[in-house]
Amino acid sequence: MGLNCYMKFSINKSPKVIAGYTNWRKKLILMLLGGSLGILGVSLVCLNFGVVSIHPKEIFSLILNISLDKTNSLIIWQLRIPRITMAILTGAALSTVGGAFQGILRNPLADPYILGVSAGAALGACIGIALQYTTGYYLASYLPLFAFTGAMFSLYLVYMSSKISYTLASTGLLLAGVAINFLFSALITVLLALSKRELHSMIFWLMGDLSTANWNKITIITIPVIVGCLFLFSSSLDLNALSLGEEEALHLGVNTGKLRMRIFIIGSIIIASIVSFTGLIGFVGLVVPHIARLLVGPDHRVMLPTSALFGAIFLILCDTFARIIIAPTEIPIGAVTAIVGAPLFIYLLQRRNV
Amino acid sequence: MSFPKTILKVEEVNFSYNDYQKTLSNINFSVSRGELLGIIGPNGSGKTTLLKIISGILKPGKGNIFLLGKNLNIFSIKKISKYVSVVPQDTWIAFSFKAKEVVFMGRIPYISRIKGETIEDYRISREAMVKTQSLPLSEKNIQKISGGERQRVFIAKALTQTPQLLLLDEFTSHLDLNYKYEMLNLLKKALKEEGLTIISVFHDLNLASIASHRLILLNEGKIEKIGTPQEVLNEENLQKAYRVKPILINHPDLKVPQVIM
Repeated sequence: MGLNCYMKFSINKSPKVIAGYTNWRKKLILMLLGGSLGILGVSLVCLNFGVVSIHPKEIFSLILNISLDKTNSLIIWQLRIPRITMAILTGAALSTVGGAFQGILRNPLADPYILGVSAGAALGACIGIALQYTTGYYLASYLPLFAFTGAMFSLYLVYMSSKISYTLASTGLLLAGVAINFLFSALITVLLALSKRELHSMIFWLMGDLSTANWNKITIITIPVIVGCLFLFSSSLDLNALSLGEEEALHLGVNTGKLRMRIFIIGSIIIASIVSFTGLIGFVGLVVPHIARLLVGPDHRVMLPTSALFGAIFLILCDTFARIIIAPTEIPIGAVTAIVGAPLFIYLLQRRNV
Repeated sequence: MSFPKTILKVEEVNFSYNDYQKTLSNINFSVSRGELLGIIGPNGSGKTTLLKIISGILKPGKGNIFLLGKNLNIFSIKKISKYVSVVPQDTWIAFSFKAKEVVFMGRIPYISRIKGETIEDYRISREAMVKTQSLPLSEKNIQKISGGERQRVFIAKALTQTPQLLLLDEFTSHLDLNYKYEMLNLLKKALKEEGLTIISVFHDLNLASIASHRLILLNEGKIEKIGTPQEVLNEENLQKAYRVKPILINHPDLKVPQVIM
């Protein structure tokens, strides 16, 4: 059979001619190359923006470790590069999980926060902030721990309630996520209403913030983000099958219940580790997968990696915008992503190709 | 690999969705290679449920199903998908895949997650599109084609799975008269030449009579009658199941019963 295939292949020159299929691998490699170059280019440009003006030549020599200017080196290596790296990881993670959640829920309006994990993280962080002000202990450095615990708690609640109701079918998972979101949001509102001095910290956390990025935080989130995203990429073919419907996917040999549970748990852990450090950055995980789908089609094997790359670029740009638009004051990045994302999303909806 | 002559054996199958009412009770039948078995019966008689049990989506409460001589319980759903493919009655696809991408998904059970697909996979899916006359649709958005066109794409996808047993749930529901008979001829050819076996649910009794070698008439979850179209489609059986008095005539060419209401 192998020889037979080869003969057909050689007679018709390319598999595209034989089967009338575009080679998705070529598309993927093209997107990976283009996207990586895009991230590199955007990062280099955005490194130039900031409160302190540093000449591009100086930045170049600082990156190559040629320049000896200690202050500038600190600004570039300890502030701007970590912040851009954090934006890359966050954007890539939110967009990949957004695309994967849209796949398991078979719903193009799903985002990484729809299954409740973000509300759990937010509640955890707000409790941490409130405790800091009421007890007087300095808890700021433990906030990620509070947030992560909250996120894991909500993951557990959503998992258990969806299991009881619909054995993890899409609707059950979605409804459980929405219910937990409402419940936790209400608790956050109560905390906000009761708070005075801590209100500003809470609101800033709820709108997302990359200004505290440092290499320690990056080291902690890199492993869950990279391993988790690679796992999600490896489920792409099964996600394609699920796009045809629950029963159709089962007929194609995909164990949909297990697939949904795996993606829900892995995706939630990725999101929990990200939002614990950055707060809630909205819209990226909703809009970017749509842009990727418009450009490369709905095949998850190409769409998910493309989303990751575009998400990274989108967030670097939004973050740069957030820190320079009314510098030296920063606006929360979550506000910028929504301000840019909402009109873009409406435009995409009008094109009806999502 | 050679397969036994009996592809499927259903033994004493019972099923219920709840504690109050049995959807299927005491279902017994077997299907041989190359046979087209039609399932007919009024709404709610358990036709689709029976197909779901055969395809492994629902587990029977009691009884056994033997696929190629082995109990279906020992097959994983991945293994079942290599032997059994299904054309559903209605489909709703979440994203705007091209028709050719949907057809190609029929190869998912065979594609190694590490090595990826082969050219043979592409050749099989293209061949299925040629057979079902869905090749002109290949570049079209599956969400934007008509119900009949989508049905042809899904039949192509089911054939791409290269099954031993094809399950059809009212597959002609969205098809024009010409495609209805084209598909029927295509499937009959596949029965003869490729040794495919088909179990199909029909609402159209006349089409069921023309197409099927044997028919099962289901009524309130039980087999009312099983046999050739001549044996099943008679006044007594139909009146019992459908509660109307039918008029029966013989098809002038095919000599099978046709029902006029």
